[in-house]
Amino acid sequence: MLYKNRNVQLFLLSVLLLPILSSCWDSQEIDERANVLAIGIDVADKQEEKSEDEIAHLRDFSITNNEIFKLTAQIAIPGRIPLGPEQTGGKEKPVLVVQVVGHTIEDAIINLQQEVANELFLGHLRIIVLNEKVAKQGTQRFNDFLRRNPEIRRTASLVVSKESAATYLKVSPELERIPSLYLADMVDNLTALGKFPPSFIGLFWTILSSKGQDAYLPYFRLKKGDNLELNGLAYFKGDKMVGKTNPADIGIFMSVKGIHRGGYGAFVKVPGTNEVVVVKAMSRRTKIKVSLKDGKPHASIKISYESTIDEKGNPKLLVSNSSLLKKVEKQASKDVVASTKKFIKRTQRVKSDVFGFGEHFRAKLPHFWNKKIGTKEKWEDYYQQLTFDLQVETHIHRVGMKAK
Amino acid sequence: MGDPKEITTLQATTIIISTIIGVGVLPLPLFAVRAGETGAPLVTLLGILLAATGLFILTYLGMRHPQKTIITYSHDIIGKWLGRFCSIFVIVFFYILTGLAAREFGEVVVSAVLRETPLEVTVLVMLLLACISCRNNINVFSYIHNFYVPIILAPGLIIVAFSLKNSNLLYLRPIIGNNFQDMAAGTLTISALFQGAFIITLIIPSMKKPAKALKASFWGIFVSGGLYLLIVIATVSVFGSEEIKQIFWPTLELARTTSLPGNILQRLDVIFLAVWVTAVFTTLFSSYYLTIHSIKELCNLKDHKMLTYFILPFVFIFAMLPQNIVQMYKVIQDIGRAGLVITFLYPGLLLLIDVFKGWRKKRSVVQKS
Repeated sequence: MLYKNRNVQLFLLSVLLLPILSSCWDSQEIDERANVLAIGIDVADKQEEKSEDEIAHLRDFSITNNEIFKLTAQIAIPGRIPLGPEQTGGKEKPVLVVQVVGHTIEDAIINLQQEVANELFLGHLRIIVLNEKVAKQGTQRFNDFLRRNPEIRRTASLVVSKESAATYLKVSPELERIPSLYLADMVDNLTALGKFPPSFIGLFWTILSSKGQDAYLPYFRLKKGDNLELNGLAYFKGDKMVGKTNPADIGIFMSVKGIHRGGYGAFVKVPGTNEVVVVKAMSRRTKIKVSLKDGKPHASIKISYESTIDEKGNPKLLVSNSSLLKKVEKQASKDVVASTKKFIKRTQRVKSDVFGFGEHFRAKLPHFWNKKIGTKEKWEDYYQQLTFDLQVETHIHRVGMKAK
Repeated sequence: MGDPKEITTLQATTIIISTIIGVGVLPLPLFAVRAGETGAPLVTLLGILLAATGLFILTYLGMRHPQKTIITYSHDIIGKWLGRFCSIFVIVFFYILTGLAAREFGEVVVSAVLRETPLEVTVLVMLLLACISCRNNINVFSYIHNFYVPIILAPGLIIVAFSLKNSNLLYLRPIIGNNFQDMAAGTLTISALFQGAFIITLIIPSMKKPAKALKASFWGIFVSGGLYLLIVIATVSVFGSEEIKQIFWPTLELARTTSLPGNILQRLDVIFLAVWVTAVFTTLFSSYYLTIHSIKELCNLKDHKMLTYFILPFVFIFAMLPQNIVQMYKVIQDIGRAGLVITFLYPGLLLLIDVFKGWRKKRSVVQKS
């Protein structure tokens, strides 16, 4: 028999091994990959517009409604990214910053690839910085590429910057060697600290798609010495940014939105005196009930806070009696009601339902929703007429380790 | 039929579970949401109930003929030629189902994971795997299924559990959807995802206690249907119905959004895809096995092994027919719904005739005595 021959057997065996040993079709060495860690998007000026070469399209090819923008990418340099605990020493910059222009993200990425020798890999993209001006022009044109590309993580962060996004990718913060990782960790940690509601690109898309709410993003600002500050909350109408709050209002936003974890402290005047104490929210519970009043949408919001007293302004003031605490609780609630009202009214003026009241109407009053509303645009009109009442309760259970 | 009768009730249950859970998990929430928007869980539940009814009919039929499969007992019920004619449809349907499942698998792999690998390679490798495994007898078949079930179920449940921290219950309301006509059509699409359960007809003749087949079917559809329902609830509550409409494979996206606490894994799609490949394999394995076994029985052959490689090129060619992913999903939906005639109506009709015949026979026996 032929296959009793030892050589033939060996040959057949090696043929069998061939597909197993040939490894992965898609294999790519890690040091031959250009890992994009962060992307910044700015509006491009006329001068930069001309610098685009004819790569994805010829110059006279008109791309309607897509204004040209500037994309800054931070690419990790292989071998210079410190792994594990921070190693001291090593002055070399671990990242390369490249700038290109394009009409869409894919256009810009194609232009970028033309300048970088290794294949671009977006799987490690942690953060996308949008300049305020770009955010105001609309974000929808970026989303398509990001959704379609399987490498992009849904958990990447999206932030809005006051200064040009390019500067954010060039700063070198002291706490972390890789600027983009610092920025990305900052967004994640601020959420864990209760300084900002959960925010990542997947959530942004989800809110953008749903009919009864508008999206929000963290708004950053550059401080002295390459430091960044969470400077507020950017709120959107549809895909366009329409305004930003001050940082203190983020706490208010989180309480209406019903985010359990508290983190903001605020000065509260003790009634009857001139003294102040700092009351910090520990946790909160929010209940929103919606109804129709004469055919108009109405929301009743009930917020109850669990707070602590963190500090008092004057040593003479004694917070050791219960009745004083009650007064502080009342005053704190009053303050919250006032600023919440102001905040909601402000978003109503620009038709931006960041709180997601519309979702409550869609979910709880489907008959009204289907008949009268049905689309996001319609709801935005209705949101302007939304009336609401507010009830805030504060409970101070803890005052820290000091007896007086 | 020369095989020893060794399949236990538990094994039968696991075969049904791992056969049902397959490629369908990925687009399942999309199908459900397209039909029912926020009523997607309800649509899914109705789909499961419809599929369960079909499965119970088939199981009951099998229990009345514990030595035979649908190919052979259809001869007894509606006559030799008509039975053969209908059996051809059953075979062709499962042949198509095998091809489409392989194609859908390849399509996901090519667009989400291995983007450089040609579609043909992924599809062919998967089909070869199923094909080689099909050369075993039915007992080995049941061992393979039994072995993989825990691996298939556990990660699905883990992803659902950890994704709940991102969920928003408002997205699930109103529970009753808005458009009832779409919901009815969606129910059919969803129940078409359970067609793999047809494999029970092949298992019953090899079961130790065919009388317990109904119990196996019940638990099989309960577990797999339960997992499907949980996945739909989880994806809808995390993404909302509007966002799901934008994504081809919401379940995969759910795995990508979900992270294990403590940054152990920042995205779960890696585990999920590894498991999902196994789930697809078991599904393909079953439908492939069903196809060749039915051909064997139709042609009165002694052995099915020779057929395995013979069928392979045909399945592969069929898998390559759809031009693109959009066309493929159109074909899958249409064939799936049409297939309900074979997996639901046909057994139902057989059962009716069978019961009627039995009743008449009993009456004539009574009259004679």
